Amino acid sequence: MSSVNGLPGSNDSGIASARRVAQSLRDPELHALLEAEFPAADDPGGVSRRRWLQVMGASLMLGAAGGCRWKKEEILPLASQPPRRLPGEFQRFATARDIAGSALGLRVTSVDGRPIKIEGNPRHPQSLGATDAWTQASILELYDPDRSGSVLQRTGAEAMEQTWPKFLEFLRPQLAAIGKTQGAGLAVLSEASSSPTLAALRDRLLKAYPQAKWHEYEPLSHDNEREGARLAFGEPVRTHLALEKARVIVCLDADPLGVHPAAVRYARDFAKGRDPEAGPMNRLYVVEPCPTITGSVADHRLALRCGEVAWFARALHAAVVQGLGSKAEAATESGPDESPTAFVRAVAKDLKTHGAHVVVIAGPRQAPEVHALVHEINAALGSVGHVVAYTADPEPNRPRHVAAISSLVADMQAGKVQMLVMLGGNPVYDAPADLRFAEAMTKVPARLHLSPYDNETSLLCSWHLPRSHYLESWGDARGYDGTYSIIQPLIAPLHDSRTALELLALLAGEEKATGYDLVRVTFKELAGPEWETKWGSCLESGLLAGSAWPAASPRLVRETPPGDPGPQPGDGLPGPEQTEIVFCPGSGVYDGRFANNAWLQEMPDPMTKLTWDNAAWMSPATAKALGVDHGTLVRVNCGGREVEIPAYVMPGQAPGTVAVALGYGRAAAGKVGGDAGREVPPVGVDVYPLRTARALHFAADATVTPTGKPYALATTQEHHAIDAAAAAARGRRIGELVREFTLAEYEEESKRDPQFARHAGHLPELESLWEEPKYEGRRWGLTIDLSKCTGCGACMVACQAENNVPVVGKERVLRGRQMHWIRVDRYYRGEGESPRVVQQVVMCHHCENAPCEQVCPVAATVHSKEGLNDMVYNRCVGTRYCSNNCPYKVRRFNFFNYRKDLEEPENEVLKMVYNPEVTIRSRGVMEKCTYCVQRIQAAKIEAKNRREPIRDGQVLTACQQACPAGAIVFGDLGFRDDRGEPSLVAKLRRSARAYEMLAELNVKPRTSYLARIRNPNPELEG
Amino acid sequence: MTDPFVFPPWVDRLRPLAGVLLVVAPTYLVALAYYGGSPQTTDVGYRPEQPVAYSHVLHAGELGIDCRYCHVNAETSAHVLVPPSPTCMNCHTRIAPDSAKLLPIRQSAATGEPVPWVRVHDLPDYVYFNHSAHVARGVGCVACHGRVDRMEQVTQVERLSMGWCLECHRNPEPHLRPQELITKMDWSPAGDPSLGARLRKQNNLNPSTDCSTCHR
Repeated sequence: MSSVNGLPGSNDSGIASARRVAQSLRDPELHALLEAEFPAADDPGGVSRRRWLQVMGASLMLGAAGGCRWKKEEILPLASQPPRRLPGEFQRFATARDIAGSALGLRVTSVDGRPIKIEGNPRHPQSLGATDAWTQASILELYDPDRSGSVLQRTGAEAMEQTWPKFLEFLRPQLAAIGKTQGAGLAVLSEASSSPTLAALRDRLLKAYPQAKWHEYEPLSHDNEREGARLAFGEPVRTHLALEKARVIVCLDADPLGVHPAAVRYARDFAKGRDPEAGPMNRLYVVEPCPTITGSVADHRLALRCGEVAWFARALHAAVVQGLGSKAEAATESGPDESPTAFVRAVAKDLKTHGAHVVVIAGPRQAPEVHALVHEINAALGSVGHVVAYTADPEPNRPRHVAAISSLVADMQAGKVQMLVMLGGNPVYDAPADLRFAEAMTKVPARLHLSPYDNETSLLCSWHLPRSHYLESWGDARGYDGTYSIIQPLIAPLHDSRTALELLALLAGEEKATGYDLVRVTFKELAGPEWETKWGSCLESGLLAGSAWPAASPRLVRETPPGDPGPQPGDGLPGPEQTEIVFCPGSGVYDGRFANNAWLQEMPDPMTKLTWDNAAWMSPATAKALGVDHGTLVRVNCGGREVEIPAYVMPGQAPGTVAVALGYGRAAAGKVGGDAGREVPPVGVDVYPLRTARALHFAADATVTPTGKPYALATTQEHHAIDAAAAAARGRRIGELVREFTLAEYEEESKRDPQFARHAGHLPELESLWEEPKYEGRRWGLTIDLSKCTGCGACMVACQAENNVPVVGKERVLRGRQMHWIRVDRYYRGEGESPRVVQQVVMCHHCENAPCEQVCPVAATVHSKEGLNDMVYNRCVGTRYCSNNCPYKVRRFNFFNYRKDLEEPENEVLKMVYNPEVTIRSRGVMEKCTYCVQRIQAAKIEAKNRREPIRDGQVLTACQQACPAGAIVFGDLGFRDDRGEPSLVAKLRRSARAYEMLAELNVKPRTSYLARIRNPNPELEG
Repeated sequence: MTDPFVFPPWVDRLRPLAGVLLVVAPTYLVALAYYGGSPQTTDVGYRPEQPVAYSHVLHAGELGIDCRYCHVNAETSAHVLVPPSPTCMNCHTRIAPDSAKLLPIRQSAATGEPVPWVRVHDLPDYVYFNHSAHVARGVGCVACHGRVDRMEQVTQVERLSMGWCLECHRNPEPHLRPQELITKMDWSPAGDPSLGARLRKQNNLNPSTDCSTCHR
């Protein structure tokens, strides 16, 4: 076992890059700002000391006279009690959420009529109980004070508050005029949606107005997959993967575990093949230009430029379909670079030896030809029917998103559009830059925009219409596999808003129809006989049984697709004018739609651990060749358009490429994401200006020039560093924090020593200075499987939502004051440009011999009988000794009152997001992971009320419940069921892979890790 | 002539008294603060005026209506219902339908506006008290709320302080009773001093004194 290096790369440039962040802090102005702990308190203002004493004395007297009892409280019983609704009791309702045309089934917790927490619906095949970070954070969006509250009518820059009836008065004559021309001049621009009701309304609208045009646009589109299928099969089918059956998985610039409509399900299925105890392990090869979540869990990763992935696909196709040793193989042999060619050969051989249980996946950035090649490879390998399944595309005749928006722009430019209705979306911000959407749109007389925020597009529209949040709406949606779910509201609309369905109904002349009515009409048709009964069970279970798309068996239409072979991986770096720029979704903000969500902005990017910013990722060699330093601004020029963006030196990035995340630099997102109107600076840099309709995913001809200007990047990776590198800096040796073995090592070692992972670290004879507590009865514990964890960050946001964890903002993240109870550490293993990545989730370990408790002068942190390390906020006086003495650095201190903004009247609505079962901490108090003690207590009380024992798996921590991969397991280590079986967590803790981090300190942590097992191909790893 | 700025000679006789005062005064002040600020003084006996002169003496005492007729979820929920107005109207559509005292209830039932009852038993917000966890384990209503059936106006009789909670959590046996007698106000385990211990064993009751039991 080799060593793990902590900071970005073991290479010099990586460490230099870490330091560069600190250096940029020496910028005197910024430094002064950061130094002033209470900038607002410097000048106390007019009141004199004497006057102050007088006032304070008087109020003290008044306070004393007012009595010692706290405020009189009222109990307001509901005048009529809705069934099953009791004050303070949690209720759970099934609903669903549609993001960019695919739904995730959810179960939302509501208390006193307000939704507070989102979980996955365990019965929904796309969720299985888990969620992604975006869905976890969507609860914050519901209560966002920046959501638009009323209809706005704009004439020029002037906005006037209006009402829906006023809007209708405007709409009716417009529609009447358009009706006379059969709808000519009416154009609708919609987001991708899987809603059958929306589709039905669209059909009704187009029937009423046959000349009207319907366009659909998504900035991050999966159209290449559709078009690839069309090339291969003659029809655009949708591909579904059964990753749990795959033994070899090859991803070509694909991120099925990170950004994919079915990512939550795929992560669970993939993780099933990463447990050597449970069965044969799968092997994952990833070929990609920039590091992704999927790439970080790969057994073998090859960094290729985006444009070179096509070459790889072709070479793999040649090796697999035409057979080894054929003419194509010879061509491959003569490839210019030895390493990628060897990689292709090894992958091809591995694919062939595993029969049908293999799959090759291409990502949405790759051209349709690459997808067609992949379909042929899968067919040739026989994986279709085993791992790969196809279903018909729900909208086979829909034009490509980019074609749709291009034709809309052409129509608008030609003056053919009289009324443009936009159902969601933000095309002024995210349409391809060369189309000049905003300019074309101003030629349309009536511009209507339905949107949750008064955003960039709304600002240029004549009418802005507030859109309801999905938790306020009736609607329906289909999962990636077609499973039908009803979207049912958890709360009445907080604002005067409507859904896309309701607006469409207005357009179609169905003014009286409510969302509920519209959905029921669709459901009646869909469910057939006994639809009323099915409606009830669909609302209760969250899905309509048997509604997934039926499997299709498309036939390949031709053997070898033609097309441009694409560039081959070359020697060395391309010239500075041929830097490839790759566009990727923002890990938090996606395409920009979540930019005003503070939880997502502060969630560190899984790879860079960067918060509140995007950056231009480039490999150390590229940065050196371009003369760029980490944390300085660079100018990226692409076809004459230019942006200035900070550089992030990223090991694992393909040489000669620069990756930039979309979705940042919003000018009208809100108080969090940036709002030029209120002088709130944008978060990050908008890179949409570099994106054109021809090069939506990557462009090969960008120029990157350094400016040398420093820029402070708020990355959390260097905070709370406890690894070997950090310990070396403090002059101390510590054991291995991340333990990683190959499958061969595991098989050999576990036979020799059933606790080999635990013994892989140096464990001295341990003796305690303290009397060691004894635990009888319940002993809570937690395990984290490093083999399964992808580092996606869903657990962080779930914890934030469950435990009322505050956000602190970029400046305080820069000072290491982020408040997340869970952090995900990223480690690099190995040397060179492209080291392997290991992600490690760290939260409070609930040590039995807790060092924090030993130094607290006021007993504010003490142990419970069940082994929880309790934190008593009322006792805490804020010495921070505990945090100092914590070897895991998981304690977080409230340096400020992060709830101060709640006192402002406009933020009243934000109070509704908080979990009433968890204290809202104030300034000067330490806090940390509690193992979700509120959930433990609730389960204990409920079980005892029924005189039943707590079952294993009955208490789920928030992180465990959200985890798509199922990497986190929580439970009672002392549990035995009726048959004497121990709990899952106890079994895992006894696994050969289990070990405790820093066990050599004799802190006896209750959290264990399961060592990561890799399954490398012996041919590629000597 | 005596100087007006010089104390008269008789003041000298008070000098030993000043010494006594030096000891007594601080003791008095500390004791005053302690007893004056203790929950025994500030909270016990709290009897706010309610918007409706509802008499527990009449309903729970004389008529003998079970507590759970109105406080439905006392055994199952963390927070107990103060009854919604329709619960009152179940009977009062027929009994005293025109009483002036019931006007706010009738108005509430008609308009849907809640009656603003004043909370008597008020725990601090950092205490996560669960009602069912106590009632479902055999702690009778009377243990915390006192003889409500004798109260014209509901009064706080116990301190409801942390020390008071802990007394019972450390030694719950005197407060336990059979589950079916939970609302019986006048019941006492007379003649069976070991009943508490038996009930505790039978129901496996080990009240926790961990901080996170009530504070999180």
